[in-house]
Amino acid sequence: MKSVIDIALRECGIIRRKPIYWFCVIVFPLLTMLFFTSIMDEGQPEDMPVGVIDLDNSTTSRKLTRLLDAFQTSHVVAHYPNVTEARRAIQRNEIYAYLYIPQHTESNLLASRQPEISFYYSMHSLTAGALLFRDLKTVSTLGSAAVGKATMTAKGMDEDRIMAFLQPITIDLHPIENPWTNYNFYLSAVLVPGVIMLFIFILTPYVLGTELKFGTARELMARAGNNIYVAVAGKLLPYTLGFVSIMMIYLLYVFGALHFPTAGGVGRMLALSFLAVLPSQAFGAFCFGLMPSLRMSMSICSLWAVLSFSIAGNAFPVPAMDAPLQSVSWLFPLRHYFMIYQASVFNDYSLSGVWLNIIVLLMFCLLPLTVLQRMKTTFNTYTYMP
Amino acid sequence: MTIIKDMIGNLTHGFRNMCDVWAEEMRRIFHDEGMILFFIVLPLSYPILYSWVYNNEVVRDVPVAVVDDSRSQLSREFIRLCDGTADVEIVGYAADMDEARRMVGEQKVRGIYHIPSDFAIRVNRGEQSPIAVYTDMSLMLNYKAIFQTATSVSTAMNSKIQIKLAGNYTDREDEITTAPLAFHEIAIFNPTGGYGNFILPAVLILILQQVLILGVGLMAGTARENGHYAEYRNMKARGIGTLGTLTGKSLCYFMLFAVICLYLTVIVPRLFSFVSLAQPMDLLAVMLPFVLACIFFAITVSVAVHYRENVLLIVVFTSVPMLFLSGVSWPQSNIPWFWQSISWLIPSTFGIRSFVRMNTMGATLVDCMTECRALWAQVAFYFVTAYIVIKFRQKEYNEK
Repeated sequence: MKSVIDIALRECGIIRRKPIYWFCVIVFPLLTMLFFTSIMDEGQPEDMPVGVIDLDNSTTSRKLTRLLDAFQTSHVVAHYPNVTEARRAIQRNEIYAYLYIPQHTESNLLASRQPEISFYYSMHSLTAGALLFRDLKTVSTLGSAAVGKATMTAKGMDEDRIMAFLQPITIDLHPIENPWTNYNFYLSAVLVPGVIMLFIFILTPYVLGTELKFGTARELMARAGNNIYVAVAGKLLPYTLGFVSIMMIYLLYVFGALHFPTAGGVGRMLALSFLAVLPSQAFGAFCFGLMPSLRMSMSICSLWAVLSFSIAGNAFPVPAMDAPLQSVSWLFPLRHYFMIYQASVFNDYSLSGVWLNIIVLLMFCLLPLTVLQRMKTTFNTYTYMP
Repeated sequence: MTIIKDMIGNLTHGFRNMCDVWAEEMRRIFHDEGMILFFIVLPLSYPILYSWVYNNEVVRDVPVAVVDDSRSQLSREFIRLCDGTADVEIVGYAADMDEARRMVGEQKVRGIYHIPSDFAIRVNRGEQSPIAVYTDMSLMLNYKAIFQTATSVSTAMNSKIQIKLAGNYTDREDEITTAPLAFHEIAIFNPTGGYGNFILPAVLILILQQVLILGVGLMAGTARENGHYAEYRNMKARGIGTLGTLTGKSLCYFMLFAVICLYLTVIVPRLFSFVSLAQPMDLLAVMLPFVLACIFFAITVSVAVHYRENVLLIVVFTSVPMLFLSGVSWPQSNIPWFWQSISWLIPSTFGIRSFVRMNTMGATLVDCMTECRALWAQVAFYFVTAYIVIKFRQKEYNEK
């Protein structure tokens, strides 16, 4: 134990001399945290630009336009003379969607000739497209309902009967834990830990490998009493503490200051920060043990870490991927982090639903044991080759 | 006459110097396995991997549990219709909400449709009758599938109920009763709403930029570690100046990345049948400044690399934020001004925007003029900074 602390102190000395460590453990993760949380501060994109092609120029068409503009997500920025112009405006990135109201809409409506309006929304950006689709659909439905409502009011029906006729079955939506459909809650909660884990992934082989690179590996082993367990534990301990504190700062910031939903409670949240840091360190150490070439192990770790963002399945769900990828996803710590986070922090489900993910993360921690002997030989005999 | 002769002589001399640097840089790339990994293997394999991940494009059959307290013909019709849609699959009935919640907790289902006991009674009584939809919000695509399915099924059932109540004589009257104002909903440019078509064009362009920065940074780091001074000593001895070095190196990277760019922007989208509407000449007109901007940007950034491995530490993590800054995931119109202005410094911002618009939305060069001009401005700006960086390195040698 004493020698572990001795090695850890030696490591602290190295950290103090090299600014790159400060950047990777503290500055970059903090910057990333601020970046994601501030860029999505709105929660949901508001007032996105949409266009209107109003060939009718009637009370009804203007009412629809005003209604659309009044929605939270849409902002009517321009009128276009025809569909081609509006389409080109989308291609120029000026608007994301447009509503098309043809001639005689109002007169056909009043004469019960069922006029047709159309809305076009670009799905090149799923977020903008899906949100604007919702607004445009609501506007069109309301436009349709308004006619029925006017007719029935004229016939002397009361509000309840009108609504019961127009919409007999209603959908009562309960978006659990995120009723605002806040994208910040949904994306930052995985992307930021993902970036922190990325740093752990890359920094761990770097920390171990630089001992070889700068030819200090033998001195390290001597100081650790030729005990590889002590050497590795001592070297990684300062980073464990550093990264766990950064994870906790992040959790405190998003849950404490930004009020991200945390039904699962503080205890689980803090326990999760250990489950994010330790397996990632273990993975990094394992890669280095397997491939003592500093560059190769770092490259593999960074490829793994970058791929994590896709295969974690927080945006595109894992069950929708091809079967082989579903199995491969078990090899990515971020995937398990996401599973445990959504079950036990974001929601308040019992941990029994994700026990397998917890076990796998703990097994990640044991991975380096398989290569430590190899690493010992490496430290004692290898010389750095660029 | 002699002036012209001198000029031609100078030019050919300069050209030869540039070609020397070019060839030398090429040789160095192919002698270094790390460089081959970053410049060749990575750009070839990563797009394939990513395309595979998003190959299925859409989410189908999201599992949902039903708590049917109504047990009526109408409630069963609702469940049957939901199960029949592409997006939702009813995987089980739960006896009560507690059981359904447990199913959500066990990750077996992503949402619950709860049909209250008086559901059919209320409909038949001519009252509004709600169905409660509970969704797990940890995944937006699941939420969307569960909610939109319930809405569209209820709309369809509503129309049937309206027709029954209205007591019309003809089909046309029924149509007008259910939809006095008809509407068409048309998704354009990615009509299936596929995730791969949405994210992949952006990722392809980002890969190009990041690979270049990593590769060039790695070379600079290596040069700094060992051969650095030897490299510049040779050049000085042969009288190769800053401009020759810069253009020589850039031409070497350009040669490689012209091919990689073609692979990423033309071949990969076709391999996986992604939307690809770009006109060849238009594509060329934006990719040329983009690759050049990336090269000079990479040379500029490489000044921060002291050891070859450090480049991974400072570059890899920027990928996700840069993807966000391009306005793909989060709409460009809603990025705060502060981050907008930072995004102008990065070539991928404009590279991604113009490529997505040309490739996915069939825009032409005229539509992407802003981005194109911005890229050329970046080329000019980063050319100057890259020149300064190389000049600085040469000076560093001269002082040693």
